[in-house]
Amino acid sequence: MTLSAIGMVAWLAAFVPATAAPADSPANDTAASLQVSTEAEKPAFLLDNLHGEPSALQAFKGNVVLVHFFATWCEPCVRELTSLQKLAATTRGKPLAIVAIDVAEVDLRVRAFFEKIPVDFAVLLDRDRAVSKAWGVSALPTTFVLDANLAPKLFVEGDLDWSHSDILTTLEALYPTETSNDSSHPVRLPIRITTQSITHPLKETPK
Amino acid sequence: MNRREFLTGTAALSLATALPGAAWAQAVFAPKPGAWRAVDLVTKLEIDGPEGKAQAWIPLPSVNEAEWVRPGETKWTGNAAKVERVRDPKYGAEMLHVIWKDDEFVPSIEVTSRVAMRDRAIDLSKPGNAAPLSAAERALNLEGTELIPVDGIVKQTSDKIVADAKAKSDIEKARAIYDWVIENTVRVAATRGCGIGDVAAMLKSGNLGGKCADLNALYVGLARAAGIPARDVYGIRVIPSQFGYKSLGAGSANVTKAQHCRAEVFLDGFGWVPVDPADVRKVMLEEPPANLAINDPKVVAARKALFGAWEGNWVAYNTAHDVALPGSKHPKLGFLMYPQAERASLLLDCLDPDKFRYALTAKEATAT
Repeated sequence: MTLSAIGMVAWLAAFVPATAAPADSPANDTAASLQVSTEAEKPAFLLDNLHGEPSALQAFKGNVVLVHFFATWCEPCVRELTSLQKLAATTRGKPLAIVAIDVAEVDLRVRAFFEKIPVDFAVLLDRDRAVSKAWGVSALPTTFVLDANLAPKLFVEGDLDWSHSDILTTLEALYPTETSNDSSHPVRLPIRITTQSITHPLKETPK
Repeated sequence: MNRREFLTGTAALSLATALPGAAWAQAVFAPKPGAWRAVDLVTKLEIDGPEGKAQAWIPLPSVNEAEWVRPGETKWTGNAAKVERVRDPKYGAEMLHVIWKDDEFVPSIEVTSRVAMRDRAIDLSKPGNAAPLSAAERALNLEGTELIPVDGIVKQTSDKIVADAKAKSDIEKARAIYDWVIENTVRVAATRGCGIGDVAAMLKSGNLGGKCADLNALYVGLARAAGIPARDVYGIRVIPSQFGYKSLGAGSANVTKAQHCRAEVFLDGFGWVPVDPADVRKVMLEEPPANLAINDPKVVAARKALFGAWEGNWVAYNTAHDVALPGSKHPKLGFLMYPQAERASLLLDCLDPDKFRYALTAKEATAT
């Protein structure tokens, strides 16, 4: 897929509606949408999984990685986990990894939650909010899409339907190719997404 | 609440103000300082399936205000190896820190606290001569906490509420924020416990649903951001409402799930003023026949009273945020309103009392 094609699908994806809204002001009615990240990198992390085993972001390198911050008390998060599970099922065998990070809940509560709603992807525990703070997460759910070199490419604040075909196409465009390991050639999105951003202003990437 | 619901609510409010006074007289909710009442609040805790070291932290009533709440004696029995009454160094929240022997088969403890309380009502018609806050108390009750920042979107929202209401004095600002919280939030029955109280996340997501620890924390954050000292007061409902509001009192002697967070705002001349916008939303959702409109007389009566008054059917534990549990490696808690326990360094789920296990009961006693 060409770079401009990648940009096109990202542009399309930006208009896939979701049920919760990212907001610069409270209680706005704007749908959540994928937005372009302007950051070069995100901080590495090492977090325990539900069984108390440490897991590092670096271990997912080589895959497109969805780093999804959530909590079991967060109603939109629960909805979004369902669509992430559909995405996991759809992309099984593909170079895509989903890493769900629970923010500041007791281990036993999170374990009990996933006993009722099992998922096929990694669930890690950010017990003291250190990672969510370092990643600039200020609202749940928030999801970052990293490329195979773990460079941030897209993000969304609010819940998104990850099983939507346009979203899937956007993610597939980020799958690693033989040439994509060269991080000196970042993905460039066409001017069209910038144009649309006038009416749907691109927010600054969370710091 | 989405915009459409917000507009509907606002319209309903306008209608309410147009109703004749006779229509409001059907409901009475008017706490007034009067006779003291007392309860014995009993927390029974039994850690299920102990593996490894077990320890617990049980919140104790530690708000002592001569006008409305007087904690009395606390007693305990059980098989603990060590029981120590400890105090949070910043806010003064007291808790019982209980440690059992590693091989204790069924770690258990029963804690009984006597508390006396009565209704509160502040005459807001004119300032009195309440003592001012010390500089340290003012700073403490204006600062941000882990979950209640007072800058960013909280400050922006607070500024807009105050500007839109053209509020000038602290009391006008405090009331404008009270009205805004009532009109823009919603109580969500599915929220576990009393909610989390992540105020910035609520505002940023636009999801203003939750329960008392969410809605009243929002009030506190917005008031602090407006430069008005405010604080959450974490506690538990212990007896039914004498005004017949089923939603605003304990339903039975079993108060295991009756935790409730209220709020206070400090107004010069008036002192600490009780408020509870979350309970107005609770009346709307739960008071029979349920899902009451904002102009329902029961809602109107509660709304009028709960800016300046509380009913004394509730025991205050503390006003603490970001509470460290002594002897635990677990990160600080947002607040301490439930019994906490740890088994083999894993904190138990305080929102799951049946599995944990704990139970709270309240029995009215003779006030002295």
